[in-house]
Amino acid sequence: MITDFKQRYEHAVADPDLRPRLLAFQRSWRESRDAQVSRLEQRTERSFDELRRDFASVKDATLERIDDYIAEFRANAEATGAVVIELSTAEDAVEYIAGVCKARGIDLVVKSKSMVSEEIELNDELAERGITAIETDLGEWLLQLAEQRPSHLVMPAIHQKRQYVAEILGEELGREFDPDDIPAMVASARQGLRRHYLAAGAGLTGANALVAETGSIMVVTNEGNMRLATSLPDVHFVTAGIEKLIPTWSDAERQLQLLPRSATAQTLSTYTTCITGAQPGKEMHIILLDNGRREMREDSAIGAALRCIRCGACANVCPPYQIVGGHTFGHIYTGAIGLVNTSFHHDIEDAAGPQGLCVSCGACETVCPVAIPLPRQILSIRRKATESGHAPRWERWLLRAWSMPQVFRAVMKLGSVASSVARALGLVRRDHIRLPLPRRLSWRSIPAIPAQTGSRLIAKRTPQPTLAPSPAAGSTVDLFAQCLADRLMPVTVDASALLIEAGGASVNVPSDQQCCGLPAFDAGDWETARRMARATIAVLSRTDHQIVTPATSCVISMRDHWPQLFRDEPETLARADAIADRVHDLAAWLDGPGRLPDGCLEREGASSWTAHRFCQSSNRGEPGARIALLVERLTGETAAPLEEPEVCCGFGGLTSIAAPEVGEGILDRKLDCVAASGCETLLTNNPGCALHLRAGAVARGAAHDTLHYADYLAARLPDDS
Amino acid sequence: MITASDRGTQFAEALHAAQGEIAWFDSWDELWDFADSLSDDVPVVSPAAHQFLQRGDLPDAIEPLRSIADRAVGITVATLGVAETGSLLLVERAPIDRAVSLLTRHLIVAVGEDDLVDELTDGFRWLAEQPRAAAYATFVTGPSRTADIERSLTIGVQGPSRLTAAVLT
Ligand code: SF4
Repeated sequence: MITDFKQRYEHAVADPDLRPRLLAFQRSWRESRDAQVSRLEQRTERSFDELRRDFASVKDATLERIDDYIAEFRANAEATGAVVIELSTAEDAVEYIAGVCKARGIDLVVKSKSMVSEEIELNDELAERGITAIETDLGEWLLQLAEQRPSHLVMPAIHQKRQYVAEILGEELGREFDPDDIPAMVASARQGLRRHYLAAGAGLTGANALVAETGSIMVVTNEGNMRLATSLPDVHFVTAGIEKLIPTWSDAERQLQLLPRSATAQTLSTYTTCITGAQPGKEMHIILLDNGRREMREDSAIGAALRCIRCGACANVCPPYQIVGGHTFGHIYTGAIGLVNTSFHHDIEDAAGPQGLCVSCGACETVCPVAIPLPRQILSIRRKATESGHAPRWERWLLRAWSMPQVFRAVMKLGSVASSVARALGLVRRDHIRLPLPRRLSWRSIPAIPAQTGSRLIAKRTPQPTLAPSPAAGSTVDLFAQCLADRLMPVTVDASALLIEAGGASVNVPSDQQCCGLPAFDAGDWETARRMARATIAVLSRTDHQIVTPATSCVISMRDHWPQLFRDEPETLARADAIADRVHDLAAWLDGPGRLPDGCLEREGASSWTAHRFCQSSNRGEPGARIALLVERLTGETAAPLEEPEVCCGFGGLTSIAAPEVGEGILDRKLDCVAASGCETLLTNNPGCALHLRAGAVARGAAHDTLHYADYLAARLPDDS
Repeated sequence: MITASDRGTQFAEALHAAQGEIAWFDSWDELWDFADSLSDDVPVVSPAAHQFLQRGDLPDAIEPLRSIADRAVGITVATLGVAETGSLLLVERAPIDRAVSLLTRHLIVAVGEDDLVDELTDGFRWLAEQPRAAAYATFVTGPSRTADIERSLTIGVQGPSRLTAAVLT
């Protein structure tokens, strides 16, 4: 039984052990996986990206002609005595397996790990029909004894503590276990499970691949249980999704280059077993399950998800997964892929809950060994969930309000008045309002809203004299201030203008700027996003100037989200594209058209600093993300090394409001790394992240300052103006 | 050009990385002496290996599992060894062969030095050309293992806890 999402979430965030355990896991996995991947790249003299794209195209081509490959597989498997049966739903699969068992008088089935059997909730269904299924993979067995389900695709019991394991094993086997003696607990599986293999009438396994050219299955395991489950009983069931088909053994080998390295960071798992056909005197039933897979294939945004080889890597780099674990971040399938495929294999309700946990950082796509565009797919599912009424009501209202300029401005104005009052009352420290907040919210201080907007600051001062003429010298540049930065970080907006002016260009701040639509797009509310984007397009279409913004996220929104939003509106799309072509992230501008010379901002008395790059753009390899290099180049200073520089800071747009514990947990991870760097100043490039990181640092009383890099650079301009 | 001895070294390194062991023998006799010295209990020998060794305990025909399970030493043969990964390809159509390679504690797998290939690709190519062998074939890479309890790597779960590749020169 899977409890409802809210309960699962609360249970997860209340568990004090889960976060540190998953953090240690993610870090050690990352290190070993990266080492494995770089060895593979050396061996093959090809990049990970080339290798994964190659195999992805094999999967795509196979899926394209899936029925032909199923026919080939069937013919070859049946020629060697196997029964191949294609079934469309979970119920069909359960009925089929139960039917064969009933006909043979089988009441005990031993199982090796199979995610499809989890997907169809086979154990419970068989139990209702009087058939017992015993899991024989150690992790799965421990879960079964505890009446739990896997929280990870590859490490199913990663959430269990050894003390807990000792308890459940003790109960099952009737003797005491020392929680610190893990080998003894592992050894107990050998004895505890042996009798089941001998008594079982059938063994059930999954398949990592179905090889069409010979009708074989390939299964990758480490413990040896799968070989027992397929050798001792008389009947062998295989449950596999149709997407597991591959044409040839050489494709199987390509899959093996990627799978164990991405899954357990092994070169190869202990056992790679190939079985072709029924063994003499025995039966083999291969169940090819659809259960929503053809529907996925028909959905152009989602089809690529069928390439998935269930390695679990997308969970291993996922910051929110580290905070809440797989029981919450997913349904039966966990991690990023679970956020995508759940709505096809199960219901949209099952898929909706965890959607709000994803911070859209894009880490999953960077490690996925079959290059699935997971972040984009998650947004597409989120949209489906939102449009079918599964988004929280507060979120809809918040976005509506945000999309109305009058309301947005009025709220901000009110905020700035309240902030002045707070300041007068002595409640403001380090630019944040100190209020007695409940624990759930106190991890992030509230920024005081300054009285003046960034646009006002620019209008009120004289232009910065040219420091060194850049290629753009003499031109006029439109500054897109960004809604949050303009109100909450006016000095940063002004600093951006100063840096553009230092390159000899003049700055125009188009009036009536608004939000680009990103928060609504991220929340799956495309209607609101379109409304916001249209208004911004109108404002930015008034001139044909180059456009510069200190907000890295808005550049992604214009370049990547707008074409999706206006796919079906050619006219708007053309205007949107024209803007996307003119827009520059400030950092990319200062290295490109608005390039300032090396060392031009060199000053005495440098402080020590490090840089956190906006995760979305750095995970996409955008040049503007290399802010540390820019600051080093202009100032001649050197960044202090920062661990995990590409891991999200936890802002994640609405996530930090919807799931504050997730925002807090990820922020903690980041701030610990910042503290370990020993820097005095943390530089970052996206206003949302800067606000989040600063508010968190103030709340925990951290020693460092948090600045947008534009502030840091502009402070180094000569002050002769 | 990779020479046979390079291949052996590579194979040994990869196998060590997978927590496996390696030993070199000139003859089946030497291999037997090694295996027999490991324990007071007589090694149990898979039918596939017995053809060559002609000694040791064959699994009992009537109660095969009881005669194999948890015995100290088992001996079987591999068709190929893969230098790249340290894997041994076991072709085991008969369940009894599998029982020896799975249920004994210390598994010794004999492989001819001439049967070492460079890469996994070679192993798969061989498999694709031998449909009968593919009926039940396993690339075994080191002893069985798990990290299912708190990610702590434990060697020896439901399969052997020690694995020695016995390379016959
Ligand atoms: S989506 Fe990619 S990373 Fe995630 S489990 Fe599937 S193959 Fe692995």
